[in-house]
Amino acid sequence: MNRSQLDHILKAHHRDAYLWARQCCSFEDEMAKDVLQQSYLKILEGQAKLKDASKAKTWLFSIIRYTAIDELRKAGKVVSLMDSYDPIEIIEEVDGTNYEEIIKLLPEMQREVILMVFYHQMTIAQSAEILQIGLGTARTHYDRGKKKLKELITKVQIQEEYGK
Amino acid sequence: MENNEQLERFFDQMKKQDEQLEIPAFPEVKTRKFSFWIPTGIAASMAFAFLFIQKPEPIEPVSPEVVIITLQEDENQNQHFTIEESTFLDTWESPTASLLTEY
Repeated sequence: MNRSQLDHILKAHHRDAYLWARQCCSFEDEMAKDVLQQSYLKILEGQAKLKDASKAKTWLFSIIRYTAIDELRKAGKVVSLMDSYDPIEIIEEVDGTNYEEIIKLLPEMQREVILMVFYHQMTIAQSAEILQIGLGTARTHYDRGKKKLKELITKVQIQEEYGK
Repeated sequence: MENNEQLERFFDQMKKQDEQLEIPAFPEVKTRKFSFWIPTGIAASMAFAFLFIQKPEPIEPVSPEVVIITLQEDENQNQHFTIEESTFLDTWESPTASLLTEY
């Protein structure tokens, strides 16, 4: 695949790629921009190669995710895998329209699967590919994430009702 | 059948909010691959600058290395020495050349 074809693919997915980079960087805009730039560099320098053009989005998301993990690790913001299974309780009151804050309350893997499926319209199998985990594990994160997010939304709604 | 209505509504609203986000322009990514033209350009510029910046050295007059002393006879049969300085010899005549013709 030549440079102009890669440019074309990256441009076509640029908006989604930025939004995904932002989601992988805890919604920090500047870090997301850096991660995206680094991901594009990796691709254009040939460090990451696309074998199947039909999987361009999955491939791009995977590169962005791993680049974001590296950046978060450098910034000392990494959550261990074990931590991601721990339930996160609402400590402070969260605004019902602050979707990013609500999503951030989900454990990492669950959050990523849920975002890929519901926000980016991907399948659980594609999510599993991006996260490089088995389909069964991805399905578990999906089910738990869904359950947890529903609980969170309901809790926030109750908090808002109670606050009124 | 999954009941994801609540979640779908949540994400629809989140997407609507994200429409207000400023998406950065697609960056003009410059790869760090070695380019042949960069060192070539630098070398050409240096050569060009060298040619034009360098001052021409003044040409020093060459000091005479040869002294030509000739004995000449004028119309009154008087002999005179003439002394010339030169950097080179046009002609050279052996001092004993006359012997070959006169004897």
